[in-house]
Amino acid sequence: MNCEKCQDLISDYLDGSISQQDRATLSSHLEECLHCAEVRDDLQSIVGFCCTQRGQYVAPPNEKALWLRIRNMIEAGANVDAPAPAATRRSFLRNWTARSWELSFPQLAAMVAAIVLIVSLTTAVGLRRWQSGDVNPQAGLPDSGLSVGAIDVRKRVSQQQQLISYWNQRVEYNKARWNPQMRETFDRNLAVIDQAVNDSFDSLSKNPHDEVSQEMLNTALNEKLSLLKEFAEL
Amino acid sequence: MIGMLPTLAETSHTSLPRKPALFALVVIFGALSITTALAQQHISRRYPVRNNVRVELKNISGTITVESWNRDEVKLSATMESPAANVSPRQTGDGLIVDVMADNRGRSDIGDVNFKLQVPVNSSVDLETKRGQITVNNIRGGLVRAHVSSEGDIELNGISASQVFAQNLIGNIFFDGEFSRGGTYQFQSGKGEITIRIPSDSAFSLVAATPTRKIALGPFWNDGFKSLGDGRKYVGDVGDGRSSVMVTTFQGSITFIRK
Repeated sequence: MNCEKCQDLISDYLDGSISQQDRATLSSHLEECLHCAEVRDDLQSIVGFCCTQRGQYVAPPNEKALWLRIRNMIEAGANVDAPAPAATRRSFLRNWTARSWELSFPQLAAMVAAIVLIVSLTTAVGLRRWQSGDVNPQAGLPDSGLSVGAIDVRKRVSQQQQLISYWNQRVEYNKARWNPQMRETFDRNLAVIDQAVNDSFDSLSKNPHDEVSQEMLNTALNEKLSLLKEFAEL
Repeated sequence: MIGMLPTLAETSHTSLPRKPALFALVVIFGALSITTALAQQHISRRYPVRNNVRVELKNISGTITVESWNRDEVKLSATMESPAANVSPRQTGDGLIVDVMADNRGRSDIGDVNFKLQVPVNSSVDLETKRGQITVNNIRGGLVRAHVSSEGDIELNGISASQVFAQNLIGNIFFDGEFSRGGTYQFQSGKGEITIRIPSDSAFSLVAATPTRKIALGPFWNDGFKSLGDGRKYVGDVGDGRSSVMVTTFQGSITFIRK
């Protein structure tokens, strides 16, 4: 017999309402198990006390508080029998909050380093999105038109430069496979576009509201992007 | 010192051994030329098509020449510099597609492939090359598109299409033709002269821009034109402005000529 089974039967054992066989088995367990024997002794003394007093016991000083405590204890016992996941969550939270967070110096240093890293990454990503105008770069692909209108040139240039940088890397990667004639052609054409881009930037530095230069810059950047894309697939 | 200089006889004597060397060089050069000529591949194919067929050609390097004829068929001739080059035209429901880029993907340098296409006069042609000249003669279909990604002249003669797009980076663009009512015409060069030759009664809405300020509208100039950016851009209508024309060059001139 195990302790659980024993404690279930103790009450009936004291009342004398169990079978001879169970009584024999329980007695032998109580002789061996001190814990169950103590439970039996406690319960026996409570039953004995109740039998002798017959309801004439002296009330405790704060009976209401006592009953409240008992009720709380019963409810707490009932929750223990609740479904396992909820109990696990509660115990985890309770354990986590109740845990004493005494960290060693290396643990503390690692935690600080992790926090600094997370904050830095979040800031960098945020800045990057902010600088790019929080716009999908694909939306800035060339539309082959000249009309720029009210489009913010700086934002557009920034978007274009990012794309240009990406395609430029791809071109550099493939360039070794081209014949010398093709390489010369590419370099010569890129120089023409860069010249147009620089001229437009020069004009805009003198007159930032020069719409013709804005349009030229836009067209030149689109051309540069097209050239890089065309040659990246070679 | 004088005695050490070679005499005339000695000089001519010393030049004698050069003759066989020269002869050998000529032989080698000739042999190389023959080898090169033999190495070049030439294909010629004909495709029966309807008269308003659409022909798409994407080349890597080499010239493209398109001419019209009064037959409902396309004749494609190609000369390939490298024998390794592959050209596999595909006939689709409404046209013919030649994609040299796709046909030779994964191969190393295939050199120039020079095309000559003969197409029905009402065809639409969409031509692309990374490098090389594009010439289109006498097409009266819906679309004429000539795009040179880098350098190469574009010459469009006798064109009467409702949509014309000509674009290159280094090279001149010449257009000789008509602007159709409601048509769209775009000409763009990075470094090159753009010349447009059209009938005197042409009607179009124009946007022409070049930082060089070299815009000559000639007989098509009128007081309705607006100059922007100190003469770097002109916007205005000629006639009833029934077609849309856009011309841009970064380093070059824009010239309109009457036919």
